[in-house]
Amino acid sequence: MKQRGRRRKADTATRPTSRGARAERLAPYVLVVPAVLIIVVLRLWPLVLGINFSFTGDGELNGTPVGLNNYLELADDPLFRTSLRNVGLLVLLLPVAVAIPGLLATFIYLRVPGHRVYRSVYFFPAVLSPVIVGAIFNLMLGFDGPLNALLRAIGAGPVDWLGDPGIAMFTVVGVHIWATFGMALVVFLAGFSTMDTSLLDAARVDGASLPQIIWHVIIPSLTRTIQFVFVTTMIGMLTSMFGLLFVMTGGGPEGSTYLPEYYIWHQQGQLNRPALASAASTVLFVVMLVVGILQITLLRRAGRRD
Amino acid sequence: MKQRALWSALVAAGLVLAGCGSAARTESPSGDSPQKQQKLVVWDWKSGEPAAAEYIEKAKADFAKRHPDVTVEFVAQPFDQYYTLLGTAIQSSKGPDVMLFNGGGQIRDRVDALLPLEEYVAEDRSRLAGWDAFTKDGKIYAAPVTLQGHPIYYNKTLYEKAGLDPANPPKTWDEFVSGCAAIKKATGATCFALGNKEGIGIQFFMSGLGSGILTPQEYDDWIAGKRDWNSPHVRRIFELWKDANDKGLNNDGANSTAMFTDIFAVFETGKAAHIIGLMSDIGHWKDFGEFLPPDKIGVMPAPVVTEGAAPSLPYDGGIGYAVAKWTQDPKLAADLVRSLTSTDALTAFYAKAGAIASDTTIDVSQAGPAVAAIVPEIKTGKPALHVALSSKTLDLMGRLSQQLLSGSTTVDKAVEQLAAADRAR
Repeated sequence: MKQRGRRRKADTATRPTSRGARAERLAPYVLVVPAVLIIVVLRLWPLVLGINFSFTGDGELNGTPVGLNNYLELADDPLFRTSLRNVGLLVLLLPVAVAIPGLLATFIYLRVPGHRVYRSVYFFPAVLSPVIVGAIFNLMLGFDGPLNALLRAIGAGPVDWLGDPGIAMFTVVGVHIWATFGMALVVFLAGFSTMDTSLLDAARVDGASLPQIIWHVIIPSLTRTIQFVFVTTMIGMLTSMFGLLFVMTGGGPEGSTYLPEYYIWHQQGQLNRPALASAASTVLFVVMLVVGILQITLLRRAGRRD
Repeated sequence: MKQRALWSALVAAGLVLAGCGSAARTESPSGDSPQKQQKLVVWDWKSGEPAAAEYIEKAKADFAKRHPDVTVEFVAQPFDQYYTLLGTAIQSSKGPDVMLFNGGGQIRDRVDALLPLEEYVAEDRSRLAGWDAFTKDGKIYAAPVTLQGHPIYYNKTLYEKAGLDPANPPKTWDEFVSGCAAIKKATGATCFALGNKEGIGIQFFMSGLGSGILTPQEYDDWIAGKRDWNSPHVRRIFELWKDANDKGLNNDGANSTAMFTDIFAVFETGKAAHIIGLMSDIGHWKDFGEFLPPDKIGVMPAPVVTEGAAPSLPYDGGIGYAVAKWTQDPKLAADLVRSLTSTDALTAFYAKAGAIASDTTIDVSQAGPAVAAIVPEIKTGKPALHVALSSKTLDLMGRLSQQLLSGSTTVDKAVEQLAAADRAR
């Protein structure tokens, strides 16, 4: 504060003309203009347009205001409700998606035999595109595919991994986790490298068991890493499942694996309903906004605690 | 605080604007340009395929004869993104002059962006078949290139192994089912190869067997738009769909087997005796011929399910070229469409790509027994049942068909929902 006051005094003393002062006053605005323009023109304006379109009709009603009709239609569409429910399911499955890389990273950190190999092997799927991953698992999980052949060999009945509406969503999420946990694993390993090893040694000396070490030492010292992984995994799940869905299930069976993104694409591209798709996008935007705000508050609170 | 004010201002601006403008671009009068058009752009998903190369070449040559100073550019788009890309082009009223469409819902949903072609293609009307699929409210929007239909193909080898006469396929549904039982017993092959992962299996089933289920009057009414969903025969289509699965006529895992192209492999490898396939593009006589000897592939009319039904070949215009409303010189673009459907070009398409071309004057006598069985049926054939439905109804029917197979809905509920969706159109 003091410093700034002093500087201002110095400024007043050396101010040459009022023109220079105006330039100086305007400078910050001029400097932020490009950033603001980019945000307004490329982000906010399309957003407003999209929201605006969601209040107009499709087909013959193209361009006519229809009020909330599109939103009512969405609320009435069991497919859209399923897609929102699936978002809820993804949120519920989030702990699993975080726990798996967390546990595996712990094992690598604790130097299980072969940990060097695992470290690179686990990361490998993260470099594959969702389309390739989906195609691979389509073959693996087909009704007469190798996995079911294996199940049959050990006497368990075949499972219709991608054809049973009660299972398909879990299958796709499972594949998504398989394909992406490498990234979270790397973040966890980074978190481990900052951990105070003396705590671990102390716990070992005191004769703590592995579960006790994980619960009482590792998890508390990795809180921030875990939170970060939670947020990034959540974003990944909500925004990048489209490719997998497209390749593996196409929203089926019985529409059970629809997600809002897929629904939007389907309405716009396949059924020629751009206005309805705009309405669905707006709903998705609001959902993401709420989730995002929740996450930011969570992170901020965690940051304060530290 | 300031931030919040900015946000409220933006939201307010959004709400003020809400409900004006439109999601799809409204038509703007395209300014008549005085200079002559030098270039036509064509969008399709075919021209990139080696099998279609000769067809495109012939069509280009035909067009160049009449308009030597105009260049034609073919842009091959990936099919799975085609209508998404086209939708974007339509919204901006900028894009190709001529574009390829699937017949039925895909073109009917988008006729707002297309030019009616009757006056340009009058001469071709009798030479080509399949116009109905590209017609809406009496106006023609595209000229057919191929015919697409749903013949029932059967594997003659499996028939022989089961002691059935391959030259004399079953005529009624009961004969059909007992024949299937014999095949299953003798060879272990299932009756139908059914892939319903995308929900398309039901469309093939409905159209392939429909003419054996509905009476001719009901059939014509259905196509004409007077669809009686309360009719017991319409209900029978869905009952049969469910029954066939419950009785084990289908391969396992139909709901997770893709129609394109996993299920064709099931038929080609002799794991199923019948498949309701296609006539053009894929999953047809020429396609199967790579694995099954052509003389072992038979085509049968739909088995009669209800008395009084008269089985006919279900087919429509498969794909066809349309002209965009925004093209500068409609006559020129329509001329290109005419070149793309000239006999020369279509003959090349039929021979190389393995399609039943729309041109009824092409000689197909060399193409093998399956084609020989299909082509004569074109004269008496009728439009396929599912093509008459809107894409929204088809989408719903796909999901309901999966539910019927898994048992999570009943035939009554499914028919009720379909009736509602069909009426809402």
